[in-house]
Amino acid sequence: MSDVVLELKHVTRIFGEGDTEVRALDDVSFTINRGEFVLIVGSSGSGKSTLLNMVGLLDKPTSGTVILDGQETTKLNDGQVSTYRNKKLGFVFQFANLLPDLTVLENVMLPQQIQGGKDVRKKAEDLLIKVGLEDQMKKRSNKISGGQAQRAAIARGLVNSPTIVLADEPTGNLDSVTAQKVVKLAKTMAKELNQTFIIVTHDRYQFPDVDRIITIKDGRAFEGEETTMEIPA
Amino acid sequence: MDYRLNLATRMLVNKRGSLIGAILAVSIGILVIHVNFVIFQGIYDAIIRDMGDYRFGDVFITHQEEATIERSDSVYTAWLERFSSVKAATPRLGGTADIEFLSMGKINEVYDISVLGVDPVSDIQASKIHETIGDGQYVYARNSIVVGETVARDLGGCFVGVKSALRGGGSDPTVTGDQIDADCKVRVGDNVKLIMQNRSGDEVSKRFIVSGISETAGGQGFDSSVIVHIDTIRSMLDRPDESNSILVRMNDRNSFVVNDLIAQFSAAYKNDDLLVENIEQSAESTLKGFRSGIAMINLIGYFGMMSSAFAIVTIQMMLVNSKTREIGVMRAIGARRRDILLVFILQGMIIGAIGAGVGTGMGLAYTTYAKETNMQFQGSLALEVNYNWKKIGETALLAFGLAMLASIYPSYRATKLQPVEAMRNV
Repeated sequence: MSDVVLELKHVTRIFGEGDTEVRALDDVSFTINRGEFVLIVGSSGSGKSTLLNMVGLLDKPTSGTVILDGQETTKLNDGQVSTYRNKKLGFVFQFANLLPDLTVLENVMLPQQIQGGKDVRKKAEDLLIKVGLEDQMKKRSNKISGGQAQRAAIARGLVNSPTIVLADEPTGNLDSVTAQKVVKLAKTMAKELNQTFIIVTHDRYQFPDVDRIITIKDGRAFEGEETTMEIPA
Repeated sequence: MDYRLNLATRMLVNKRGSLIGAILAVSIGILVIHVNFVIFQGIYDAIIRDMGDYRFGDVFITHQEEATIERSDSVYTAWLERFSSVKAATPRLGGTADIEFLSMGKINEVYDISVLGVDPVSDIQASKIHETIGDGQYVYARNSIVVGETVARDLGGCFVGVKSALRGGGSDPTVTGDQIDADCKVRVGDNVKLIMQNRSGDEVSKRFIVSGISETAGGQGFDSSVIVHIDTIRSMLDRPDESNSILVRMNDRNSFVVNDLIAQFSAAYKNDDLLVENIEQSAESTLKGFRSGIAMINLIGYFGMMSSAFAIVTIQMMLVNSKTREIGVMRAIGARRRDILLVFILQGMIIGAIGAGVGTGMGLAYTTYAKETNMQFQGSLALEVNYNWKKIGETALLAFGLAMLASIYPSYRATKLQPVEAMRNV
């Protein structure tokens, strides 16, 4: 099996047209290998959220292709994309985005239930124990702290053993101490499970120890931190 | 439990205000239909009941063309009473008459009142008109007469504005209106004269002693008529053995049994040109207009239920709008459009099921109250209240279906949310 889990080829995303045209992503190409812990950095408005939407199959590129785990995803229909997102991707959002009507445990079980999996409770409980939320499982998800919610979100992102976990500013809403704990947890889980993580952040210094950094600037992708070379297409 | 049902339930429970509002919308729609049904169907059934009890029986036999049946009624009644399903059969003969009453030296007259001739022995078995005698007793002899409440009052000779003067009460404040009303009526034991024309056109008259005063709630009885012995009226009209109709009371009122008897009787006397009808047929002309009225009222009730459906659409649209973020998250983690659709349709089903349950419960409580208290329409006609389980079930099912249908558009709107758009307000 190839080690490449994600490949973007000449991905361009244009919003609007004519005078209002905005080129949010401009001919972006890169690959990510299995088990890598990758940071995508960039200032506000650089196009990193658009890039995350492309990688997360939440949006389709205007041109170019996104190949996830060997599958060209831009030609999939809505139902297939949903199934693919469910099986291959795990999401961790800035505000955790747990469903407030469900308990912490039910939130973590949800991706597996959507897949129609079995033993969903056991796996979700195991993950919640791993992220240190064994005492919070039965609580309504809007009754726990921001740090706990983010840990639960990581558990939810991991529960389906996805190919990639995508995290959008996962520490953006947390104080620095809690943020450090969440970063440490993500690193630990990535290592333990050989899990690929792509983390989008504007604050590179929250994540000192990563495998790779991709910088987005004006819709273009560069390998390494700012001022380094553009990734060759 | 399926996660979609779990999520649908939790979303609703956590939006109690919306849930209660939606349930109330459904249940009040059902309650309105139940109340309409109890009142209007109750009146309808009460009219049928009273017409059956007083005028037509369960089977009503007349001549197809002539006003009277010339063949002796005993032939028919004997044939009918052989059947165990028949309780009794009784002949009736009617006509019109003027009636006079001498009161305080003044003759009070009422013209063109209906006179009903009955065979008291069999009539007591076949009809319930004798139960309407509030004062005195039923026709028991050939010279006794039962006077309807309205006729009794009209014959009393007192009219609004002249009561006191006639009674000599003047301005005596101790004489109350009720007392005057009571005095200004024909009473049991009074003597009245009936004047009729016989079949040859000759005027015949006869004096009667008032044996009872008849009064029925809702005026379905003979309040504006008088009742005499059938032999007396036959004699006065010179129509021996004739009758206008034969009224049959069944032991078994099942429509199958009734219609079977009608078929057998019609076959047995097919050359007699008789018209044999069940109560629905004989009361048809009276009930026809009323039925359209009920249909109209029911339609209004169902429109009310449609309004409930619109309320559900509004409430669910609000729910969908308030759950945009959750829908986006669900779509992001892999929920398909049909999963989202199902969550919101399940909400409609939950609202429909609870609303139908609560509404049916309230409707049944009202029906039971109406039945137990012998609810009357405008204080007179006692409603005939029945539990129509078919109708109750249909109404509940309709409400449930409408709630589910009403949830389709909001659910569809929810599925149209693109995850990336739904997540934008995160």
